Amino acid sequence: MGFDFDMSAEDIKVFLDEAEEQLQAMEAGILRLEKDGQNPEHLQEIFRAAHTLKGSSATLGHKKMAEVTHSMENVLDKLRKGKLALTTAVGDTLLACLDVLQAFKEEIATGQESGVTTAAIMARLAAIDGNAAPAQEAAPVPPEAPAALPSDAPPLSAEEEQKLTAARQSGKNTFWAVLLLDKNSPMPAVRAFQALLAMGDVGEIIRSWPTQQEVEEDRIGDDLKILLATGESLDKVRAVLASVPEAGIVALSAVSAVSAPPAVSEDAAAALQLVEAPVVSESAGTVDKGAVAKVGKNESRTVRVNVEVLDNLMNLVGELVIERTRLNQVLTRLEMDKEGDEVVQVMSSALAQISRMTSNLQDEIQRARMLPVENLFRKFPRMVRDTAQKANKEIEFVVLGQETELDRSVIEEIGDPMMHLLRNAVDHGIEAPMDRLRTGKPAKGTVILEAFHEENHIIISVRDDGRGMDPQKIRASAVRKGLISEEAARRMPDHEVVNLVWAPGFSTAEKVTDISGRGVGLDVVHKNIEKLNGSVEIMSEVGKGTEFRVKLPLTLAIIRSLQVEVVGTTYCIPLSSVVETDRIPVSQIQTVRGREVIVKRGEVIPLLRLVEAFELDRPEGYEEPEEFFMVIVSVMGKQIGLVVDNLIGEGDVVIKPLGKFIGDIPGISGATIMGDGDVAIILDISSLVGAVQAEINRREALRS
Amino acid sequence: MAQQEQREIITQLVVFQLGHELYGADISVVREVSPLQRVTRVPRTPKYIEGVTNLRGRVIPVVDLRRRLNLPVSAATKATRIAVAELEGGQVGMVVDAVLEVLRVPQSSIEPPSQLLSKVDSEYVHGVAKVDGRLIILLDLARVLQREERKVV
Repeated sequence: MGFDFDMSAEDIKVFLDEAEEQLQAMEAGILRLEKDGQNPEHLQEIFRAAHTLKGSSATLGHKKMAEVTHSMENVLDKLRKGKLALTTAVGDTLLACLDVLQAFKEEIATGQESGVTTAAIMARLAAIDGNAAPAQEAAPVPPEAPAALPSDAPPLSAEEEQKLTAARQSGKNTFWAVLLLDKNSPMPAVRAFQALLAMGDVGEIIRSWPTQQEVEEDRIGDDLKILLATGESLDKVRAVLASVPEAGIVALSAVSAVSAPPAVSEDAAAALQLVEAPVVSESAGTVDKGAVAKVGKNESRTVRVNVEVLDNLMNLVGELVIERTRLNQVLTRLEMDKEGDEVVQVMSSALAQISRMTSNLQDEIQRARMLPVENLFRKFPRMVRDTAQKANKEIEFVVLGQETELDRSVIEEIGDPMMHLLRNAVDHGIEAPMDRLRTGKPAKGTVILEAFHEENHIIISVRDDGRGMDPQKIRASAVRKGLISEEAARRMPDHEVVNLVWAPGFSTAEKVTDISGRGVGLDVVHKNIEKLNGSVEIMSEVGKGTEFRVKLPLTLAIIRSLQVEVVGTTYCIPLSSVVETDRIPVSQIQTVRGREVIVKRGEVIPLLRLVEAFELDRPEGYEEPEEFFMVIVSVMGKQIGLVVDNLIGEGDVVIKPLGKFIGDIPGISGATIMGDGDVAIILDISSLVGAVQAEINRREALRS
Repeated sequence: MAQQEQREIITQLVVFQLGHELYGADISVVREVSPLQRVTRVPRTPKYIEGVTNLRGRVIPVVDLRRRLNLPVSAATKATRIAVAELEGGQVGMVVDAVLEVLRVPQSSIEPPSQLLSKVDSEYVHGVAKVDGRLIILLDLARVLQREERKVV
């Protein structure tokens, strides 16, 4: 079934672009609210985006979209006015609305109905809207006078009375705090425990209701009352309490007159920073193009360019660079033949100028292809939040270096692998909140996603402060799954053991969850990253956390490579996988189980003669030299030595595909055109190393 | 009569030589002819694939047409050319002994392929044109340059 909108294709495109921006703004806003509390400014932003989308979808004639945004607006309005508290359930519902709206947006983009209906989401919205018991009423608190315990405070024991008196006499402040635990919180006991820990840090808890022991045994009610003696100020205590999630401060007041600030009583709404939002300046209901445009980002001096155009430009510049090199070679010959000739000099200076401009052009076009990683990162906070919720984890998700730029082709390809690493960190890296508290960590785990430049590469790092990878467990698991023999596992050093997680069929989780998959994944992540000529490194410390460091080239089109020669043909080896080069006498080659190896710094490195691997024919009368050149390459911590005839040098090469006619060839990833116009072959190191490894494994299997 | 001749469909052929035989290919498929230049051998490819070459900044595969058609192999001469065919999968260069001319051939002088006429497998041949007493074998380049299922190495 198709859609027919009374709008031009151009208008629909504008609508879609803007709807995307509004959906993103709402998502970011809701996540921010959940994180930082009900900031009126953020609320206003979300409200405005929903409002605009309502107007424009109504104009377009997508009734369901208008219907959902309208109800969202109602809920947002209640939030804004403080008639509704932002609980996890409210956050969930609002985010679910965005999913539905996204589906509707797709309907408009494709002209195909998605089959998504509004009934379920409208019911959820209505449930919230209807249950919108004013937050203030949730916890009515009579103002308390200082210097006396509130009347609703349970009686103190003699010992506790003594403590209280002692604290007062020593000039400490004594505070009375009542926290309301969010009924919808999946783990109110954890919140209570967190609050107790936080209070214990700033002072001495004279008594709490329920007690710490009761909290640990999960015997809690709706609220937590604390009597605290502290040297800190009321503001400080309030700030600390406010940092405990899903717990509203119902009351916080000084119960001692000694050097105490004036008593303050707060209601839950105020504690949640619910402030009456400023009046909306837009007139409701009428949304014209102008208003829609205003919602978008600041006017920027940019144009949208088709990606194909950029790709073509890039190819043309590549050809220009090659022709430039040819001209330079002609010039060199001319200069030798006709030294001092005036015309040759003119040509020389013109060529120098062309060279400079070509380089500038290349840089500029490359820059035009760069996008900030923000384009990729912005879909992650939501994913992390949902994953954390499903896994009952608490995650503080920090994103750094969003402005770092990367070639758009790399951004397109790296999304899935990064998503997987993040899920892995949330699901497997970070421990359950109670486990964390037990080991002295904050209940909330931290996952940091960071992008930055390092030389000619970009690094994207995912690190968590979770349990870390235990080499012993990995060994045991790998042996159990038959990925490695017990003997080999024992011999393997710890820093190599972590790389076993990349093996197909490996999963570090004790239990299989429906989030990070069933052991499929990490090997795919690794493959995808290698396909991009990137690499990934694991740094992990038991109990402290794990870091995955993904190293990527700035662009896919150009790689730095080491050029070598074998039987008259030039081969390029991506420099990212080269460990070192060496010249070695033939006499040092040893044979282990039928394979040639070399021992270097005590490590046995298998050799791969490219002549043999590629079945190349030597010219007649070829004599094996006394010494040979070896390029040690490494993939996933596995090293092999490639035996080549000659080392030529290093350089940037533009990767060209071999084309459909030749197809995929194991060990080869493409071709490139060298300065002299000849074509060189680019090696696929990961498949060469894989083949050698497979061969070794086969021989081992035969032997045992 | 004159009118009929005008309506006659004319095929334009690029005529090239392999050994002593003349071959033709539809001019719409042959994109250009270039002198023989350096070809880089690509490992792990069939023998008839000479390798890849740089055609004005593009890397294109080059096929030894003699090997492909199971004709006896011979060394390159000054006349040796690469005829570049434009096919669905991209451009493919073909090494031929010489490129002779472009001929306009009336459809009526083209006959269906006959096993006896050529050593070339008839599945690669569209037909045979008789022009001024010469026989020109019309190659079906789409077939000739189609890669059979490659064995996994």
